[in-house]
Amino acid sequence: MTTSMVDVREVRKVYRRDSQEIPVLDGLNLTVPEGAFVALMGPSGSGKTTLLNLIAGIDRPTSGQVVVAGTDVAKLSESDLAKWRSQSVGFIFQFYNLIPVLSATENVELPLLLTRLSKKERRERATTALKVVGLADRAHHYPRQLSGGQEQRVAIARAIVGDPKVLVADEPTGDLDAKSAEEILALMESLNRDFKKTIVMVTHDPRAAERAHTQHHLEKGILKD
Amino acid sequence: MKFLPFILKHLRRNWIRTTSTVLAMGLCIFLFCTLQSVLAAVDSLLASTSASRLITRHSVSLVFSLPFSYAGRIQSVPGVKRVATTSWFGGSLPAKKEGKTEATGEEAATTDWSNFFQNMAVDAEPYLAMYPEYEIPPEQYKAFMGDLRGALIGRKLANKFGWKVGDTFFLESFIPPYRKADGPFEFVVQAIYDADPVKHASTDTSAMFFHHRYLYEATGRRLAGAGTYNVEIEDPDKAGEVSRAIDALFENSDAQTRTETEKAFAAGFISMAGNLALLLNGIGLAVAFTILLVTANTMSMAVRERRTEIAVLKTLGFNSAQVMGLVVAEAVFLGLLGGIVGIGGSQGIMWMLTHAPGIKDALAGIGITDLNLKPFVAVVGFGVALFLGFAAGFVPALGAYRSRITDMLRTV
Repeated sequence: MTTSMVDVREVRKVYRRDSQEIPVLDGLNLTVPEGAFVALMGPSGSGKTTLLNLIAGIDRPTSGQVVVAGTDVAKLSESDLAKWRSQSVGFIFQFYNLIPVLSATENVELPLLLTRLSKKERRERATTALKVVGLADRAHHYPRQLSGGQEQRVAIARAIVGDPKVLVADEPTGDLDAKSAEEILALMESLNRDFKKTIVMVTHDPRAAERAHTQHHLEKGILKD
Repeated sequence: MKFLPFILKHLRRNWIRTTSTVLAMGLCIFLFCTLQSVLAAVDSLLASTSASRLITRHSVSLVFSLPFSYAGRIQSVPGVKRVATTSWFGGSLPAKKEGKTEATGEEAATTDWSNFFQNMAVDAEPYLAMYPEYEIPPEQYKAFMGDLRGALIGRKLANKFGWKVGDTFFLESFIPPYRKADGPFEFVVQAIYDADPVKHASTDTSAMFFHHRYLYEATGRRLAGAGTYNVEIEDPDKAGEVSRAIDALFENSDAQTRTETEKAFAAGFISMAGNLALLLNGIGLAVAFTILLVTANTMSMAVRERRTEIAVLKTLGFNSAQVMGLVVAEAVFLGLLGGIVGIGGSQGIMWMLTHAPGIKDALAGIGITDLNLKPFVAVVGFGVALFLGFAAGFVPALGAYRSRITDMLRTV
């Protein structure tokens, strides 16, 4: 029997603008099994990114439960949630969001600054992560010296360097050309297949979604399938 | 410490902004340290004064002398213990020797102004009696009192020129009535005075005293009077009463007097009778506040520019306190650099002031010989720099602390 890595139960998320309430997710349920590669699709404003943020623990539901890797994320305090994020989730952004003043290795090493690892161990792990994404030869390059695809691969290395159980990706190919997008998707497939990472990916791109094992469609905050 | 490279890299990101902020901070600390050091030097000068000593001078200006006959009349005022004739000689070391004709043209230019120091012609016996802080070995005191050309010099002055008892030196005044036709005044070091470093720490030992009679005799008895009269009184609490009585004595004379405490005189002498401390502190405070605003604005800009990065850091697992700490640390580091620049600059300007011939002489002439950056002032200056950095970084850091990841990512 497959255990679930992500369990979203009756989740509601309402944003407040002044006195107006804007419901984004409305009693949503989703289960992602361990080792799955799931794509979340849907039109703009459907709540894809909001759901992804809840799974990644960077936002909290208005009501309902978000259980990721056995932890009810909504019940954690702010600092416990930060610690949980550093250990359990790797986040891949659409625009890579690398720190421009840090080299590729230093960017990858960044999450490890929160651990008790020595500088040497941090450096070794960062180098390993860069090897996994095929960028060992770009270790000392700065983001401005890398192509978009390479930047995203560094961002993926940063996401996996702490060996999280879950990877969440918010349109990881949205800012890339077709060739680079293909490379990134292949890399994500490899991480799922070879490293058994559970991946939840938001995308608009049907070709990207096809690489996932399961596709879910959201519309107006409700999961259609 | 593992976050230090991260902080340094951020500071290097916009090096023009970082440099200008550090320089602004440095200017603030420079002004603070320099102004406080000047105040400390003035305070030190004023601290060496006594409440039981008064100075009587011409009511119009120090430039005008008072008749010698005033000494006896002041002595007769009730409450006056002793009176000493005093004239600020304004002598400096000349390059030529006694016996030559009066310096003219090229010769006059050979006066060594770079070694100017405070030198006074005094009525030695009463003068030294009213300054017990000057510690003179009895045999040297006796020798000094017995030699018309004798000079009493402070330990610091003796060390500066390597003078010892028995040495001879020459001084030439720039005040015309105090110059003699046959060349500079010759002096023989007969005594060296010290001051207790604990009880009288602020007593200046870089001055020189000689007999007023020597000045009078050597100038052909042409002197019309003395520069000032130092007056010791019986009761310090009656300083105001005695001062008024002395001035009343000469109210209807051609040379009216102004008598004040030694402290007030010293403050007036260095043109600082006004609220110098208030003025200097006011300037320092205004500059510090301005720099605080500039630095706070710089840090706010830096944080605003990095909203996405702060969101990324939080997403990666940095908690709000850690992110706040990074921002504050960056600002404090700016303060640290500014402090180093400011204190270094202040030390540099102090060195220049105390080594530049013209300025050094002017300061020495008014008794300020100890102008330097005090360790305490440097430590306080450094503390101010760190505080400014902290204060400037706190508000933007608080913003970073409170910001929500999703809000910051949404503004990309």
